Amino acid sequence: MTEPTFEEAQRELEAIVERLERGDAGVEELTRLWERGEELYRLCAAKLDAVHGRIEELTRSVEQS
Amino acid sequence: MKVEATEVDGRKVYSVRAFNQGIATWLARLPTLWVEGEVTELRRQQRWQSVFFTLKDPDDGSCVSVQMPRGQFDALRLDLVDGERVHVFGRPELYEQRGELRLKALTIERYGLGAHLAALERLKQKLAAEGLFDQARKRPLPRFPQLIGLVTGNDAAAKGDVLTGIVQRFPAANVLVAETYVQGPRAPAAISTAIGDLCRRGVDVVVLARGGGSFEDLLPFSDERVVRAVSSCAVPIVSAVGHEQDTPLCDLAADVRASTPTAAARLVVPDRAELRARLTQLRERLHRGARTTTERHTRRVEAAHERLRRAPQLALERRRGRLDTLQARLGALSPVATLERGYAIVRRGDDVVRSAAQVTGGDELSVHVADGTFGARVE
Repeated sequence: MTEPTFEEAQRELEAIVERLERGDAGVEELTRLWERGEELYRLCAAKLDAVHGRIEELTRSVEQS
Repeated sequence: MKVEATEVDGRKVYSVRAFNQGIATWLARLPTLWVEGEVTELRRQQRWQSVFFTLKDPDDGSCVSVQMPRGQFDALRLDLVDGERVHVFGRPELYEQRGELRLKALTIERYGLGAHLAALERLKQKLAAEGLFDQARKRPLPRFPQLIGLVTGNDAAAKGDVLTGIVQRFPAANVLVAETYVQGPRAPAAISTAIGDLCRRGVDVVVLARGGGSFEDLLPFSDERVVRAVSSCAVPIVSAVGHEQDTPLCDLAADVRASTPTAAARLVVPDRAELRARLTQLRERLHRGARTTTERHTRRVEAAHERLRRAPQLALERRRGRLDTLQARLGALSPVATLERGYAIVRRGDDVVRSAAQVTGGDELSVHVADGTFGARVE
């Protein structure tokens, strides 16, 4: 499975939280959801803390007009 | 004037002067007309008979020299400066001395703001009629863009504002910058090309940014080519051109309009601090949800266990209860209570005596009273 984007990860985390908040998850499911939720949280946090994006110039060929 | 050629070795040869005279004569037959362009290189000196300037086509930079007698020019009181758009009424003529074509101006009118505005208004109506500005065409911006395209001039202000805004809010953002002309005749084509180039490079949102400027400076952003490029942009596009009060037509065609370049930055990237707060909140809810669910499971197991523990005792109690009931019913049927009130059961042998006819004199009877039995004889 490819790594989800921040947006995908956050959306999945939201869905898990909502599922858990309904309070009717079975014990095995509860464990699985909790672990996945933690994993998604760490993934999102890591993405947020990735300090540097790239700023690239498409062209530098424009001379001063 | 008649143009004379001389015969040299069997060919007709014209002098330069004669050639120029001939061309000049021919040109003089052309009609007078209006030419629109931008004034550049205006030269006016007290000792010159004429005023000169170059009339430049704002679209492709084509030029023609214009000459006008100084007295006429001054009488117009135009106070023209370089860069102004004018309409020149005149005719083409040849400056014979140098063989240069120029436009001899008979009058000049400033192509005013009014004319510009009217032309803009016509263009606006036309594009609106085509549906380019329809609300239904507006697309939402991506919440988390992977690559942001920025079309901007090489002027530091607007570009810096957008980049600083983006990086401050969301340092992980990736930006691809296309520097281009943002004013002057080459701007419309350059801006349109830049938008297309960025889309081909896979950006998922485009910001078109330019700082404030004069009405003329911002005109390229109302140019039909730019407006069409914005409206047909493959990904959502934010227009951040000029100041709040400026409304170039590209603002109307863009998916979202930002009042300033900084505002555009706020629109295209989420705020990292907000995201972090939201994430922390989600994690707390995750934990709370897990805890609540676990507690519910625990309570259910405990309740079942309690019932299990109490089950044997309950069964015993239920049996004892049934025994007590039986005993009570038995008690109600027993004759003991009746005997205690003074009644007696009389038997002859095993038979209970219910009638005087059952016995005869001398029969041996047994009498049951409450606390015992004694014998008796019939008289």
